[in-house]
Amino acid sequence: MDSSLNSGDLDRFLSQEKEKAMVNEMVTKLTSVCWDKCITSTPGSKFSWSESACLSNCAQRYLDVTLVIMKRFQSMQ
Amino acid sequence: MDSFSSGSTGAGSPQISTDELMDQMKVQFAQAYAQEFLETVRGKCFDKCITKPGSSLSGSESSCISRCVDRYIEATGIVGKALFSASR
Repeated sequence: MDSSLNSGDLDRFLSQEKEKAMVNEMVTKLTSVCWDKCITSTPGSKFSWSESACLSNCAQRYLDVTLVIMKRFQSMQ
Repeated sequence: MDSFSSGSTGAGSPQISTDELMDQMKVQFAQAYAQEFLETVRGKCFDKCITKPGSSLSGSESSCISRCVDRYIEATGIVGKALFSASR
């Protein structure tokens, strides 16, 4: 019978959930930003090719921008 | 399994197992994520579909909202895929 909490299991569980939360935050923020940038007209019954490409490109360029900014900060130190 | 063997001695406050605690937390996290997603989609689709609020939702506004929800879910998938298949 488990009458006290297993802190090893809990620690593992919480650090997994924390990572999931960080991933979720990244995806939700990026989807919001890229939706605003790419979906300019009234939503249709499917995305046009250019809308899909824009969304995908937007996410990848966002990562590129993050790298550029980090390198810039580093070069200032 | 645990619920049949715990608490029978009345020794104090009811004990919760680690598994039960983790299950409850998973449910709460899932609910929080779902709630956040609902609020985001609502904001985006209201902006896109309800340009001039009338005295009721028109048929075209309703179908715009439906499409918008589908598209936003699709957009989430596209962005997620782009983030995690990008080889860095």
